[in-house]
Amino acid sequence: MSDFTIDSLHAALRGLSTRQRVIANNLANSETPGYLAGTVSFEDSLRTAMRRGEPKTAAVSQGTSANPAFVNGNNVELDEETVALLETGMRYQLLTQAVSSKYSIIRTAIGRGA
Amino acid sequence: MSMFGMLDTAASGMRTHRVWLNAVSDNIANISTYRPMDEAAYQPRYVDAQSLPGANGQYNGANGGVGVRQILFGDPEGRVIYSPDHPLADENGLVRAPDTDLGEQMTQLMMAQRSYQSNSTVILRAKDMYQQAMQIGRG
Repeated sequence: MSDFTIDSLHAALRGLSTRQRVIANNLANSETPGYLAGTVSFEDSLRTAMRRGEPKTAAVSQGTSANPAFVNGNNVELDEETVALLETGMRYQLLTQAVSSKYSIIRTAIGRGA
Repeated sequence: MSMFGMLDTAASGMRTHRVWLNAVSDNIANISTYRPMDEAAYQPRYVDAQSLPGANGQYNGANGGVGVRQILFGDPEGRVIYSPDHPLADENGLVRAPDTDLGEQMTQLMMAQRSYQSNSTVILRAKDMYQQAMQIGRG
């Protein structure tokens, strides 16, 4: 079953999940010499894909942070990553609730929901 | 890629920083371990960490983590100090103390502790997220 809402929500959940994994990796490596923090962007691609009416084509792209590195060649900013961790988790929660609501609407339509 | 990859990543961070904390606590515990001149001094331990490649081979992508590459040891000569009353002193009154800088060890202790804490925060957030995902479609 293909549905614009569900496809858009799935694309966003995929992006947020990847971002959270990368943040976990950045925090695990917050003191590793020479480690450069990874970044994830998907919002712009998702917006463009949704305008085209094909949210499934949204891409999740990974990059490397351009923050200046410390003496040991590491550029993980602990506060930035912790805030991003919290924010990404909250946005993920919001989206899972939206997915549940959408499925609840479908259940109502097929006559099995309350 | 495991199903709960974020937990693996955070666990690798906690494991590595625990090894680091162990090394630092050992170094501080042995800061006054004196040895006679014909033996090696207590050698402080240092942890050499490296980031591990993730599923796509990138070091700063998803599902990588961190690991201990090797443990390095300090100078076996240590610091030679003059302490003629020490029972281990040789005929010249010299003993070997470990070449450990307490200030540096305390700084490392704080760094390792903060990183350990941030990885445990990641585990809490990851758990919330996975629980949310498992609730999809329940209500």
